[in-house]
Amino acid sequence: MNTALDDAKIAKMSATDPLAALSCREEGIQIATQHSVLQGRNLQKSFGNHCVLDDVTVDLRQGEVVLLRGENGSGKTTLLNILTGNIEPDQGTIRVIASGTEEYFRFPRPWWQDLNAFDHFTPERVASEAIGRTWQDVRLFQTQTLLDNLAVATPDQPGENPLAVLLSNSRTRAAERNNRGTASAVLSQLGLAGREDSSADRISLGQTKRVAIGRAIRAGARILFLDEPLAGVDGKGILTIMELLTSLARDEQVTLVIVEHALNIPRVLDLADTVWTLSNSHLIVEQPSEVRNQLRGLAADGLMPWLKSMAGPNANYEEQDLGNGARLTRFHAQSIKNQKALLELRDVVVRRGNRLVIGCPDFAGDIKGISFKIYEGDLAVFHAPNGWGKTTLLEALLGIIPMEQGELLFDNMPIKHLSVWERVRRGIAILQARDNFFRNLTVKETLRLCNQTSSDTSWLSNLFDRQVASLSGGERQRVAMSLLKPARLGIYDEPFSALDLSRETTEALDCYVRRHEATIIFLPILDENE
Amino acid sequence: MTYVLHLAIYIAIYSILALSLNLIVGYCGLLTMAHASYFAIGGYTYALLTLTLGWGFLPSTAGAMLVAAILSLALSLPAWRFRGDSFVLISLAIQALVFSILSNWYDAKFPIATWRNLANGPSGIPNIPKPDIIGIRFDTVSSMAILSLALLAICGVTLGLLKISPFGRLLKCMRDDELATRGLGKNVRLTKVYAFGISCSIAALAGVIYSSYTSYIDPSSASLDHSILMVSMVLIGGVGNFRGPIVGAIVLVLMPEILRFGNLPYATAANVRLLVYGVLIALMVHLRPQGLMGEYRFR
Repeated sequence: MNTALDDAKIAKMSATDPLAALSCREEGIQIATQHSVLQGRNLQKSFGNHCVLDDVTVDLRQGEVVLLRGENGSGKTTLLNILTGNIEPDQGTIRVIASGTEEYFRFPRPWWQDLNAFDHFTPERVASEAIGRTWQDVRLFQTQTLLDNLAVATPDQPGENPLAVLLSNSRTRAAERNNRGTASAVLSQLGLAGREDSSADRISLGQTKRVAIGRAIRAGARILFLDEPLAGVDGKGILTIMELLTSLARDEQVTLVIVEHALNIPRVLDLADTVWTLSNSHLIVEQPSEVRNQLRGLAADGLMPWLKSMAGPNANYEEQDLGNGARLTRFHAQSIKNQKALLELRDVVVRRGNRLVIGCPDFAGDIKGISFKIYEGDLAVFHAPNGWGKTTLLEALLGIIPMEQGELLFDNMPIKHLSVWERVRRGIAILQARDNFFRNLTVKETLRLCNQTSSDTSWLSNLFDRQVASLSGGERQRVAMSLLKPARLGIYDEPFSALDLSRETTEALDCYVRRHEATIIFLPILDENE
Repeated sequence: MTYVLHLAIYIAIYSILALSLNLIVGYCGLLTMAHASYFAIGGYTYALLTLTLGWGFLPSTAGAMLVAAILSLALSLPAWRFRGDSFVLISLAIQALVFSILSNWYDAKFPIATWRNLANGPSGIPNIPKPDIIGIRFDTVSSMAILSLALLAICGVTLGLLKISPFGRLLKCMRDDELATRGLGKNVRLTKVYAFGISCSIAALAGVIYSSYTSYIDPSSASLDHSILMVSMVLIGGVGNFRGPIVGAIVLVLMPEILRFGNLPYATAANVRLLVYGVLIALMVHLRPQGLMGEYRFR
């Protein structure tokens, strides 16, 4: 159990001297390279009558990078939740050797174990065994600064005991100074030097995902489970996150399990050593090369071919630069002369509180807003980097937040003064990226609420009786898309997030998009070449 | 002058209460309606220890704070599992329980602090001794004002140290996202036990100052109205920082005193006061949800 001693030492050293701790860690790693760090045997989990995982066996080795994939609702997040202590499996065993000492959990657990407050299968217990995770929705501590988000993660801080703070204040303050120093160094390594005092809700999505990874590592994680670390992140952000993950896996020998969806799978495959594919409640272990050969359609080719096929064989496309890295690509089948503008933005400026989000000041100090037109029959793609203000623009289009300046015309009528429901009645339908479902209703009730007929929603038939809250991320996204009326203008904010992009999904998406006279799809910028 | 000092004592007592309550409401993000219970537990324990066992001010105060800290488990253990509305209901149950024990566990034929008569029921306990610290008696209003302001300063410094420490940061992270905090391996359960223990024992200290100053305590100090007053102070002043609760305490202690100058009949004045509280809270919720001075928006 040399590694146990090493890790305890390293944890203490990393507070004072991160470099020395790193070199010690490297030595320790060489001892344990061949060892398995986590084993799950015969794991089984059902929700009601619905079996999500059946006889799943996994084995993780130090420094291994695993891509976990599967269709929507195949149980990826459930497996992640089980291996990180968030939910108990119905049956099976889990053995964790990551922190050097061995922990063994057998399920179902006998009732007397639940009486022992120190022997629960909980996230904090599993985290103390050097297992960390990041969430799909990131979950940084929103009211805290970036520095505090990292500093709080340090294990065994003396200042977390209030008695120690009051009785030996100088010691806890010294420890806290060290801790903040190290956290600041980690922040620089994450490429966020100088952003120590930025609030966690004021940075871009890609940056929050990096901080979340740094936070889990700071908490001592040697096995890191990442739930969609690339989802919604723009191309530049994806590159930085992949660099960070590569350095963690290759230089620091951290074991990574990455859950990702179709569009980002090729990027993760570049790093992965193993692929776990969940299908029909079973887990298949595959090699990355095999999986790469299987990729077809959107996952392999990216979005552009799909968009072109949607726009039709004779479609032209033109691009408009909207400033600060955002651009609008419009695919249209006919020449513009014959077309009627459906939506027109003239010099639109939007603020959130005092912060200017849409629009930028020119040399004279006046604020110049954005302007663009969408014509009937258009399929438009709005690419913008994270933090550009896509969501703000969407909310302004729908009338949730007011526009400070500019004009908004729909079908040549000004709609700036109209309320949200009046705009929807005129024929604008928006699929929001978040908060687009009713948790406590069943799928059937949700569809009825929105007056959707069963013919439109056949791809959801197997989900009708389930509560929306119990669905997986991708299934919820499908429900949310089914609620969109065949409006004149359809606006979709990141419709592909959490979707598996199977043929069924893309066909349904095709069908929804074709029902609108014009469609705008908001996407993070993925690739400069796209 | 005596009137001003009297007000200063009340402001000190309620500032201590609001600051301690802020640790739970502002830093843990849990709304408790049982804070008056711990205030009363402090006052009653002090009264019983001094009157029946003849203990001095310091040991009785320490005893009162210890009892409140132990009884705070009644709140912190449910807080392991419950948040939001469910936790408010649990705190209301504890509030009702303490109030009903203090009101009903008595039999006038028996002396206080016996199995038949815990604390004299609705008649309350009179003749509670004034503070006496190493021979210095605090029996005048001015000396009492100095003592209460000094205790406010000590509580302020103690809570201030905790709030800027890693403990305070951990509480705020727990408030923002408990599951993410647990995912970092933090013992959130123990942290909640600490936070409630500290907050409730400081509320008990306020109870000790109150009962020793007025020399009398009755179950009305543990009433739900009293808890609501404390919560109003924190919410109107603003949660999550230091100034907010003190501003809230000053505003709500002074407001009835200002109404006093309106020459309203006594019965009307009491109702007008409640009306003003209600309007003030409703206005605050709409216009300034983070309170007058707050930095965190309580949800």
